[in-house]
Amino acid sequence: MAKVVVVRDLVKQYPDRRALDGITFEVEEGEIFGLIGPNGAGKTTTLRILATIIKPTSGHVEICGKDVLREGNEVRRLISYLPEEAGAYSNLSGLEYLRFMASFYYDDDEKIRCAIEDATAISGLGDRLKEKTSNYSKGMRRRLLLARTLMVKPRLAILDEPTSGLDVTHAYHLRRVIKSYSKEHGTTVLISSHNMLEVEYLCDRVALIDQGKIVETGSPEYLKSKYSAANLEDTFMKVVGFAQGA
Amino acid sequence: MPKGLRLLIIKEVKDLLRDPKILIGMILFPALILPLMGAAINISTGSLMEKSSGPLTVYVLDEDRGEIAQRIIGSLRDQGVAVRLVGGPYEEAIREISGGGILVVLPEGLSQRIESGNRGEVLVYYGFKDFSMLESLNAQRMAGLLNGIESQLVRDIISENMPGANPDSVINPLSVNEKSVIKGVAQPISPYVLTNIVRMQGLMGPLVIMIVLILAMQVAATSIAIEKEAKTLETLLTIPVSRLNILFGKLVGSVTIALLATVANVFAFTYYIGAITSQATSSIGNLDLTSVGLIPPPEGYFLLGLTLFGALVSALALALTLGTLSQDVRGAQSIIGVVIVPIFLPTIFLMMGDMQTLPLSIQAVLYAIPFTYPVLASQSLITGNYGPILAGLVYMAFFTLFTLYVAAKVFTTEKVMTGRISFKRRKLQ
Repeated sequence: MAKVVVVRDLVKQYPDRRALDGITFEVEEGEIFGLIGPNGAGKTTTLRILATIIKPTSGHVEICGKDVLREGNEVRRLISYLPEEAGAYSNLSGLEYLRFMASFYYDDDEKIRCAIEDATAISGLGDRLKEKTSNYSKGMRRRLLLARTLMVKPRLAILDEPTSGLDVTHAYHLRRVIKSYSKEHGTTVLISSHNMLEVEYLCDRVALIDQGKIVETGSPEYLKSKYSAANLEDTFMKVVGFAQGA
Repeated sequence: MPKGLRLLIIKEVKDLLRDPKILIGMILFPALILPLMGAAINISTGSLMEKSSGPLTVYVLDEDRGEIAQRIIGSLRDQGVAVRLVGGPYEEAIREISGGGILVVLPEGLSQRIESGNRGEVLVYYGFKDFSMLESLNAQRMAGLLNGIESQLVRDIISENMPGANPDSVINPLSVNEKSVIKGVAQPISPYVLTNIVRMQGLMGPLVIMIVLILAMQVAATSIAIEKEAKTLETLLTIPVSRLNILFGKLVGSVTIALLATVANVFAFTYYIGAITSQATSSIGNLDLTSVGLIPPPEGYFLLGLTLFGALVSALALALTLGTLSQDVRGAQSIIGVVIVPIFLPTIFLMMGDMQTLPLSIQAVLYAIPFTYPVLASQSLITGNYGPILAGLVYMAFFTLFTLYVAAKVFTTEKVMTGRISFKRRKLQ
């Protein structure tokens, strides 16, 4: 299978701390790949580098064969990014927001219309899309933003904590959408989360990240079996325990 | 225009115009409140003027009973004053005006003194009840009436003592006819009137420039800070549009809103000024500068346009940079509150005075501020003194390029996400 994401020896050094300390991983086409770890482990920093927002101190990142550092504009055509804390323009309606975003990806009005139709279906917001986004609840806004991320049919969808802070109903809807959309369109998804159960449900493979380092990679089933753990949460604690003891 | 830039400008204008803070605070509020203030002042002044132009009642204590006293009383009646003669004693007459009013006392021997060539004294008492504008205006009316009566008395005395002479020629033997020479042509206008016109018309230019610059900076800094606060900036940076287009989208969107706000402000301000001065129409304001040869030449407007464009772009680039480095809208507005001081300074200094008359140190500071040059350019429309502006244009070009470079640097690097301006004091170890 073709590799959509290739990350080699990624380092990000801030003046006061080392956020990433030589991260290496690959994501294959059509795969849902999870970066899991505690707060401050380096998940968001990794995703922001892949999304061309910040630059690494050293290392190499490629998306669909394009160098993120040197070919940022081309990379932005291939990806769609959902930040952990994202908002929509509060003075625009949901539909206006979707049209505004879709217009950057398509020149053809028909394609823009199709993208908005897809987003309407993905969000499940129906007529509420005609309202200003300032009237939306947190869950509705997150559904709109996920729809915006997926409607442009990206080669790589980067989702940072997609269900963080949502109630069960909205979180359930979002997980189902991500899984079915990826299967249906063969979209590669790179997801970060500290919700181990969510990752276990969604991801084909995961990388466990702690203190800026990837400490283990594999499918949830493989990792659980390797560490004789009941779930990914136990696996993570065992792996981190080993890594810290090492 | 690139598609991405066009989309960003449309979104920017739409989003900002729908923002109640911008729509109400910057456009609707000044457009409504200033005309309302003007109308309120107009109504209250109008009703005051109407009341003060009604019949004036004056109490007169005539202790003289002579020819001159009779003439004074007659003149007052001729002027439509309701004269009420009161008897003595003097203290009782004063009591008549304890609730407001005017008492004129014509002392004994007044006529005799004037007829024998001496000055005669007339006592006028103004009774105050509520210290209102009406009482003040009535006092001014009374003083004006007495001046008129005195002037008529002088004419009568001249006619009696110099038969055949024109009293006006005796009072003002010299007729001074002042003319102002503008660009080598003598124009029939007094220098005081001319300088007042130029000064008044010259006030508007700097004022409008100041309003445009300040509003544009506030809009720009707020618009980027709103993106940060609403967490939309991070997404915007990952869509397929160049960072420079995002920067220019913000610049053009902010200028559009600032121009709309300026039109609203200038319209409202003009209406306000018109309303409050309509009761006291002055011949000074009605004179057209073009009729006396003060037509601003096209090159003057061109220079004004260039300096204004440079000032606007550099001010916006500065505001966007500071807005980007602020944590939220409040932080951006606080920083802009400080940065607009250099915009106020040249306007305030140059609105009321000339650059040449200022101390050298202040001149140096003003010339160092790039926002001085549009104000100078607006004044040079009338004076034609383009020298400092041409030199300033080179300086402004460098400043504008520098601010744009800094803004582009902030926008095209990760500083747009990670940069921070912090006023927190570092702790001592």
